[in-house]
Amino acid sequence: MNRRKIGVYVCHCGGNISDYVDVEKVVDAVKDEEDVVVARTAMFTCSDATQQEIYDDIRELGLDGLVVASCSPKLHTFTFRGVAKRAGLNPFQYTQVNVREQCSWAHTDDRQGATEKALRLVRAGIARTRLLRPLEPTVVETVPKTLVIGAGIAGLRAAIGLADIGLSVVVVEREAEVGGWVKDFGPMYPRDKEGRELVRQLEAKVRQRENIALFTSAEVVRKAGSFGDYVVDIKTHGKSSMTMQIHVGSIIVATGFDSYQPEEGEYGYGIDGVVTLPEYKKMLDAAEGSLEYHGRPVKDVAYIYCVGSRQGDDGPHQYCSRFCCSAAVHSALELYTRDPSARQFHLYRDMRTYGRYELMYRESREKGSTYLKFAEDEPPAVRKGADGRLVVTIRDQLTGQKEVEIPADLVVLVTGMVPRENDALVGALKLPVGRDGFFNEIHPKLRPVETVVDGVTICGACQFPKNASESVASGLAAVTQSAAMLKQGRAELDPQVASVDPQLCTDCGVCYATCPYDAISPQEGHEGRRVAVIDPATCKGCGGCAPVCPERAINLEGYTQAQIKAMIEGLAREVV
Amino acid sequence: MAVARPTFIDEVRQSEQFNAAACMNCGVCTAICPMGLEHLPREIFRYVVLGMEEEVLKEQETVFSCLLCKLCEENCPAGVHITENVRSLRHYFDRKAFRI
Repeated sequence: MNRRKIGVYVCHCGGNISDYVDVEKVVDAVKDEEDVVVARTAMFTCSDATQQEIYDDIRELGLDGLVVASCSPKLHTFTFRGVAKRAGLNPFQYTQVNVREQCSWAHTDDRQGATEKALRLVRAGIARTRLLRPLEPTVVETVPKTLVIGAGIAGLRAAIGLADIGLSVVVVEREAEVGGWVKDFGPMYPRDKEGRELVRQLEAKVRQRENIALFTSAEVVRKAGSFGDYVVDIKTHGKSSMTMQIHVGSIIVATGFDSYQPEEGEYGYGIDGVVTLPEYKKMLDAAEGSLEYHGRPVKDVAYIYCVGSRQGDDGPHQYCSRFCCSAAVHSALELYTRDPSARQFHLYRDMRTYGRYELMYRESREKGSTYLKFAEDEPPAVRKGADGRLVVTIRDQLTGQKEVEIPADLVVLVTGMVPRENDALVGALKLPVGRDGFFNEIHPKLRPVETVVDGVTICGACQFPKNASESVASGLAAVTQSAAMLKQGRAELDPQVASVDPQLCTDCGVCYATCPYDAISPQEGHEGRRVAVIDPATCKGCGGCAPVCPERAINLEGYTQAQIKAMIEGLAREVV
Repeated sequence: MAVARPTFIDEVRQSEQFNAAACMNCGVCTAICPMGLEHLPREIFRYVVLGMEEEVLKEQETVFSCLLCKLCEENCPAGVHITENVRSLRHYFDRKAFRI
């Protein structure tokens, strides 16, 4: 067997590693290992100077393997793949060894132990690298068409954005009408444009564009295929119920939110005159002059904030819904425009009218709204009074902790956003859902609309509570991501995926169920037998299938059975 | 338990300038008061906007101790017309307590 030429670089990380690991000792111990032709330490391996040093070594010494022992692979995998590629080494012949998060930082009290562990980890990295082979990314052709699921304000705006970039768009909406929540809204902040008017404009623009196909009363029932060419089944309901199949290159999920539904008795919900925020908004938008409820005039209104939000450590909705403080204050201002003499009491935990919504908060106070603050462990109580009106009791933190009774004609529970029940769609798309029930992005700052499923992006309030403008902004971010992927016409996928050795496979069927991405399927015709086949474009390289195979017929590229065995031997060898 | 009476504020209000509800309870006024008045203006204004008349009537001494120096008003981040509001309160006491 030809000897390999491996370069090993152990990082000080400015002291983050070398304060607890004797990096010189690690290099001394591996520099004479078989196949290692160069081993060095570096103050910061990721610095330009050290990258150049590695580049020069690859070229001058003809390295065919690279081991970098520094931080987590999450940080610099692409940095060092880039160095390898620039120097002419296949980027998949490089191994990242984590001696910071998984060694120096974890063992700050044991320098000798940390040094030994680092040495073992580096040896395992060398053992893996010995068995690496050059790989080329899987290239797939992409279909220049995007599926948008949900025709609320975010989905509609995204569809228009995609169409104007020159991509075909299919919009699928479950309801009979487009527009989601916004289609029922009256005047919206800050320019008092009506929600229904906004939706009318968006719908007209969608219908003007020939490259947008809009299906209402329709649902996505199945997704197959892989990034670049997803095959999606759409089922329409109503008079002409049918199922059709379309091919799309990417998918944008904009399925929106549900409003929190209080339980019977929660803050008096169920008592006549206690309503949720959406119910109240509907009444307000319909009212011409002063407000009436069930034929009775409404003069005194009490709002209770944070209903269904910030439910402590045990509740299912521990997050702040963000939009509701501003929405309630906006509703209060709307009521003043209809009835300036209305008396409004706001019972809150913390006011979070962030950004310019603070100006609405101020305006509402200037117009006479009174704000009372309650403590989390002592929420206000609502009951029916003797005179038939409602009574809200609160211990006001702003008035010397005094208990105050507020008579009210209407109590508005300022309800937050909750994730929409969408189990069938979640199952069809195989999208990850967070602990709070909303869809998860890959990275909240740097990849805010992409998901772990290639080509599937999320936007709007199906991701987390957002107001209309934030929803549209994320919709357009999803457009950019989708278009960037599809406009190239081809996409490169990570080649570190699993494959089945058909000679060893017995079609026992164990692996099919383990794949979270549906990448494994039985195929007829291998020497007359049926065997499992893994689609390289669908496989994400998670490795879940490899250990369950009783025949050891599945190998994950970069982590083959032979490599894992070699790494264990590297880890277990005497340190001395 | 005090019962809020939202119409009470109309009895105290002397002019359109009266804007006790604009207060956001930051406490700058209390911290800065050269007379060291504890309840004026913030807490008394709370009693007014909530309609807690009995509590207001207990504060006669405080309301008339104010120098109307406007130090609090100058520093109020919420733009509350504090001295104007105190004048409204004095008028209220004149009518209600002194019957003049």
